[in-house]
Amino acid sequence: MSFHLLFIVSIVAGFVGAMSGMGGGVILIPVLTFFGMDIKHAIAVSIVSVIATSSGSASAYVRDRITNLKVGMFLEMFTIVGALAGAAITIVSGRRILFILFGIVLLSSWIALFRQRNEGWRPAARQDLFSRWLELEGSYYDRSARQTIVYQGARAYLGGPLMFGAGLIAGLLGIGAGALKVLIHDLVMGLPPKVSTTTSNLIIGVTALAGTSVYLAAGMIDPGLTAPIILGVVSGAFMGTRVLVRLTNQTVRHIFLGVLLVLGIEMLLRGIWGV
Amino acid sequence: MQVSTDHSDKAQSDCHFDMESLVGYILLTGVLLSIALLAVGFVWRWLRVGNLRFEHSIAGMNFFEFILSTLRQMSSQAFRPRLFINMGIGVLMLTPFARVLASVFYFAFVEHNWKYTLFTGFVLSVLTYSLFLR
Repeated sequence: MSFHLLFIVSIVAGFVGAMSGMGGGVILIPVLTFFGMDIKHAIAVSIVSVIATSSGSASAYVRDRITNLKVGMFLEMFTIVGALAGAAITIVSGRRILFILFGIVLLSSWIALFRQRNEGWRPAARQDLFSRWLELEGSYYDRSARQTIVYQGARAYLGGPLMFGAGLIAGLLGIGAGALKVLIHDLVMGLPPKVSTTTSNLIIGVTALAGTSVYLAAGMIDPGLTAPIILGVVSGAFMGTRVLVRLTNQTVRHIFLGVLLVLGIEMLLRGIWGV
Repeated sequence: MQVSTDHSDKAQSDCHFDMESLVGYILLTGVLLSIALLAVGFVWRWLRVGNLRFEHSIAGMNFFEFILSTLRQMSSQAFRPRLFINMGIGVLMLTPFARVLASVFYFAFVEHNWKYTLFTGFVLSVLTYSLFLR
């Protein structure tokens, strides 16, 4: 696979990853395997690029004060442990059944989100004691709505353990698993979509690092393939970030829905056909 | 949902260096430095051999061994394009690690928020353990 092709594919992956908060791995892995790369190596290379996507876009979101750092830092405790476990499982196991399971999880998530596609963000009715103790409230200035949005994160007691699962899938499949992270933020913890997406980006970087360390130790990181992919995804992520802050919450959700559907079907078919 | 059209919160938060600025600039610096190192590696490679293809793999080693091995080769004047590629990847991997490390110190010594010092300290410990895996 040539440098130029790797670079172009990576730009697209980084752009979509930043726009949806999912990381670029969902596009990279199918393309790399299509060109003959072993899927475990594709996963390993992809997860390094996910660090780049996440860090590139999170740097802007954090400085724009959309990301909720406390939500992110609390949930990271769960995702990194999950990522370590997931990467370790990938190294020793086959993946067909895991792809099917992942496809089912994503399509179920898509159905849940699709039912709510025309509904605006519904904030948590009240903040529980645990979430209040964790100081999960916040606010950000929404450029598209031209107003400051104030919110309270809730049900952290559910969000934390669920994030272990998101981290597990991230480490297992070499993707950001931002789809699941955004869902947990959005539907379980009652965070506004932009806060969900941007906080997901922050968490993805640390989660991917945990997974990367396992693949590096297993000798599965190829710098010659990884480097052009990093260059591409960072370029794409910077472009995606600039677009995201100008979109409405509803638009972000629609983009997220589209990517989630494609990803879910692709994973499911790959598992069934064993490719 | 509560909304406000008052920009004073944002203006206020923009005028001092806080956790968001610290985290944001660490991530930005790490990514830019990583990109610069990778770009130098590729440009040098292209000038030297006329193509951008690198073919070398990293034998099973942990992250710190990977970085030390690269630095050792650089310090022995054995500058090669692939060492810049290795350093670019190393810096990228260090970026979220440095962000967590800085967060621990910020929560501990600036905010005196022991709850979040503990949380970020746990994340840092697990990450450090994972980077020693081999």
